[in-house]
Amino acid sequence: MSTLLLALTLSGWAGAETPAPTAPPVDDLPPLLKDPALLAFVEAPYPEAARAAQIEGTVRLALEIDATGAVTGVSVIEPTGTDVGLEEAAMDAAKKFTFSPAEDATGPVPVVVEFAYGFVLDAAAKVGAVPEAAAAAPAAELPVNLDGVLIEMGTRRPLAGLVVRLEPSGVEVTSDAEGKYAFRGVPPGEITVRVVHPGYQTLEQPVQVSASELTTAKLWLRNESYTQAGVIGVYKKPSAEVSKRTISMEEVRRVPGTFGDPIRVIQTLPGAARSPFGTGFLVIRGSNPEDSGVYVDGIRIPYIYHLGGFESVINPDLVGAVDYLPGGFGPRYGRSTGGVVDVRTRTEFPERTHVTWSTDLLDSGVLVTGTLGKKDQHGFGVAARRSYVDAILPLFLDEGFVARPQWWDYQAKYQWQGDGPNEFSLLIFGFQDVLIASTPPGYAQSSDPDGQGELGTTYSTHRILARWEHRFSDTLELHVIPSVGNDYASFSLGNAWQLEQTQWMAEVRTELAWTPNAHVKLVPGVDFVGGIAPFSITLPFDPSQFAETDPLAEREPFTVQDTQPGWGPDLYLLAELRPLADPERLLLTPGLRFNFVSIPGEYDIWSFDPRFSGRFSVFEGGRVKGSVGLYHQPPQPFQSYRVDDLPVDLGFERSLAGSLGWEQDIGPAVQVDAEVFYKALDNLIVGNPEFQSLDDQFFVNAGVGRAYGLEVLLRHAPVDRFFGWISYTLSRSERRDQPDEEWYPFDFDQTHILVGTAGYKLPWDIEASAKVEYVTGNPTTPYSLGVYDVDQDSYQAFATGAPNSDRLPAYWAVSGRIDKLFTFRAWQLDLYVDLLNVVHGKNPEFELYNYDYTEKSYIQGLPFIPSPGFEARFQF
Amino acid sequence: MLIFTLLACTENKLSESWQIDRLRVLAVAAEPAEPRPGDRVTFTSLVVSPNVEVAATVWFACLTSEGDYGCTIDESLLEGLDPTGELTADELEALYDAGFIGAEPFLPPVWNVPEDALAGLTSDEQLEGLTAIVNVSAIPEDADLSSDDLELAYKRVPVSLAVSPNHNPAIRAVSVDGVEVPPGTVVSLDRGQPYTLTVALTEDAVEPYTFVNNAGEVEERTEEPYLSWYTEAGEFDQTTDLWPYFEAIYYAPEAPTADASTLWVVVRDRRGGMAWASLSARYR
Repeated sequence: MSTLLLALTLSGWAGAETPAPTAPPVDDLPPLLKDPALLAFVEAPYPEAARAAQIEGTVRLALEIDATGAVTGVSVIEPTGTDVGLEEAAMDAAKKFTFSPAEDATGPVPVVVEFAYGFVLDAAAKVGAVPEAAAAAPAAELPVNLDGVLIEMGTRRPLAGLVVRLEPSGVEVTSDAEGKYAFRGVPPGEITVRVVHPGYQTLEQPVQVSASELTTAKLWLRNESYTQAGVIGVYKKPSAEVSKRTISMEEVRRVPGTFGDPIRVIQTLPGAARSPFGTGFLVIRGSNPEDSGVYVDGIRIPYIYHLGGFESVINPDLVGAVDYLPGGFGPRYGRSTGGVVDVRTRTEFPERTHVTWSTDLLDSGVLVTGTLGKKDQHGFGVAARRSYVDAILPLFLDEGFVARPQWWDYQAKYQWQGDGPNEFSLLIFGFQDVLIASTPPGYAQSSDPDGQGELGTTYSTHRILARWEHRFSDTLELHVIPSVGNDYASFSLGNAWQLEQTQWMAEVRTELAWTPNAHVKLVPGVDFVGGIAPFSITLPFDPSQFAETDPLAEREPFTVQDTQPGWGPDLYLLAELRPLADPERLLLTPGLRFNFVSIPGEYDIWSFDPRFSGRFSVFEGGRVKGSVGLYHQPPQPFQSYRVDDLPVDLGFERSLAGSLGWEQDIGPAVQVDAEVFYKALDNLIVGNPEFQSLDDQFFVNAGVGRAYGLEVLLRHAPVDRFFGWISYTLSRSERRDQPDEEWYPFDFDQTHILVGTAGYKLPWDIEASAKVEYVTGNPTTPYSLGVYDVDQDSYQAFATGAPNSDRLPAYWAVSGRIDKLFTFRAWQLDLYVDLLNVVHGKNPEFELYNYDYTEKSYIQGLPFIPSPGFEARFQF
Repeated sequence: MLIFTLLACTENKLSESWQIDRLRVLAVAAEPAEPRPGDRVTFTSLVVSPNVEVAATVWFACLTSEGDYGCTIDESLLEGLDPTGELTADELEALYDAGFIGAEPFLPPVWNVPEDALAGLTSDEQLEGLTAIVNVSAIPEDADLSSDDLELAYKRVPVSLAVSPNHNPAIRAVSVDGVEVPPGTVVSLDRGQPYTLTVALTEDAVEPYTFVNNAGEVEERTEEPYLSWYTEAGEFDQTTDLWPYFEAIYYAPEAPTADASTLWVVVRDRRGGMAWASLSARYR
């Protein structure tokens, strides 16, 4: 007798073709980041009536699985129609199943899955089908003489619930929760073991069974596709932040031109301007790069990309998801008038120890993940990466020129998942980027001797970050995230220019989430950050000479060393209100944030940020959404200092931003999201036009700006073999340095940004993807022949137009990527090649004038480059 | 960004500043280099033009406040003015009022520093002095003073009571592949071949001087001059040579370009003093 697990089908995105009748409407469900997996299969006893009547059959069940993975409800979708007790037996057994919970971007979520429970009489039970060797005695009384385990190739995952069949006898057994199987009384000699299961390639393996000894056969099954495992591309989750877009792994990592880095995918989404090649700027909705906040697990860091913007500072394999909020974000995030990027590290780790080795043109890295403990409640991930561009670059440089860019990063995460109300994680991470460049001896880098020498720049960040979550009850949770660390940045040019700053800081984010019922959620929180920043500056001239234009004025070297403390607690309150009977239909999210920043001796400033967003499901599949809010951003560190402890007369920069949008589901896999936004900026910090001496303020809050536009995202979720999205942004961003001046375009104002990305899974674990980009060129200021400065041997250019009144030619490029996955028993090898700039290859990135401004040319981006790489994944 | 710049290629090769392919003002020297109030200052200039005749070089000089580029000249004054022709007395008076000091080749530029140039300054400020701006406009044939074809240049002339006033440097010799030749010499060069050019200054060209810093302390400093190279044909490996690396690689032009050209070198002492020299090259 055996029961047969026939199929397991998820409702929602992944199983949209066969939704269970008890599942919520597919259109209302966000995609899952992780499917539920059957952990404990319970075999149903074969009903005596069915056995007696020699009846077999399949019962199709709908299983309700809660957020812990427990089966909370079972109903029959399709009975066998036999009335011999198969349905009851199947339901009783299915209630005892245990699953790993399904997850979306918020964490574990309840789902409904369809399950086919098969009842098949084994050969011994079938009349007239008793194997010859077993005829003398009941099969159950014969010794086990053939056993083994079913293992998935590449992942070494034991496969539970698969039917193993012996040929030619036709005897079958089902593998248990550990993937083990066993046969009794198998006749000696060569037999064939056959395993057929949906999603796996059919296995037929000859086995020589001994007459006197136990024969053990380990059966390796090959998954038909290793790249489809419940992974979601980019989607809009109906969260409190109406403009939030969450990015998760795998498909997104296949986006061409991203070097496998999901964080770089942000630049293919609406609202994100194209960063000039080699800069890695994060320009969101017409804001300066420094106006957007970058977070790792809720704690802010200064940089998201390594040197040159090629890769992000977190190992992609340790990234769980990336939240990208171009605007309209709630009071959880502060001190930014631009957008927010929040990188969330993995919270799930495999039971077995996995080692992943990645290598591409730029760097190599290794990641080890796994779990420890009897219940696998101790998850860990350790990663490190190092670039080797510094070894390759000299091949392209003339003799004597030196350019040594290098970066490295590391991450270590520990995740404790207890049975009780507590969860804890510890993340230690850091990175460093260094660039050294020099010229041959005697080579004049400029006519200024203070511009000579080796150029060096370094920046680094290190953080230790803990996260403790405590659930007091079903309605009350506490989240505490303390962190300590430092940021370091330095720049030097010869001995004349040396700037160095270290920031030691401690941060604590504490948040209480109270959900008294399905209609109300209140989240008060405190963000505290404090620290000290020792710095030293050496300049070849006194800052008071900034105002001097006379190069014959004698320079006096200027040195200052100081330590600048700073601190500030921010308070916030967020409410999620769902006033309608159907709580998912209307979501209102008012919030308030109080910002306070103190730089002792310089300034104490504070502000209030009221914010509001809402989303209303007008009809099934159609939702309107909007947001409005005030955002304040304190001065940058370099703007917050004056010598001799003179007070800095600066306040927050301010943004009043609003958005209005519509989301429309088109079928189960396609969604259109359109949003208009407007942002009014004032109190922008600009250079003081009246600066004459150190007695004057360096900067003033005199600038104003505005940014407005339309963003459209048409996406096809990764259903079946295809995923893709088209992102379009039409926008305008302008500035005025003084209120009475003319508007001029923002430095990265890009009128049209059109990006199309698509990927398709071919047979044989080959995946091809492509990306097409068209972006309006960045603004530039036109110049013409100027006046020759005889003493400086240089020309003073004349601007022939208003600031940023000209533009670079438009950028357009086609890139591709091909992945081929090879699966071996204990490891997998993903070979890929990124095909950068396949078609066009000549894109102006920067403008370059000749010595007297009579000729202009463009520094071009990279030409067509095939960039190969591989990722090897080992399981132990 | 720097990596990218180092690796990047430009769409078109841009002309270099050492490349003389149009009317250029390359140098202007004042004598004395750092005058005192009441001094009479004469000027010389290095104006080159491979393709057009220079009709005139017009000079203005004004004491000025920091940040200005020299004399403020009413454009209506210049419109229709023919510096090579006869000027009326009114036109001349208006020009002198605007700071006019000469128009070569007819009227050599001379500027008499006003006696009261440093009036109102403290004695320390008088040691540091003020800066005068000298504007030079090189006018090609068939152009007037308001034309876009003019080459405009300006130079600073410090006026002070400095204890150690600046002097113009002087070039003693130019070496071609180690062989010293006096300035102005005609040298024969093989086409397409590289030549190492070096410059020797006179012994007193690199001057020591005193400088009073913001703290009132006296510092002993030494000039750090630099060279700029120019040519009508051929190429230099770099535009500028910094002290003490006064050495440039010159690549004689390949055939069939010009049979002859001029190589110029200008030395600037960063305090307003400068000098220049040239070699005439014949290509074999």
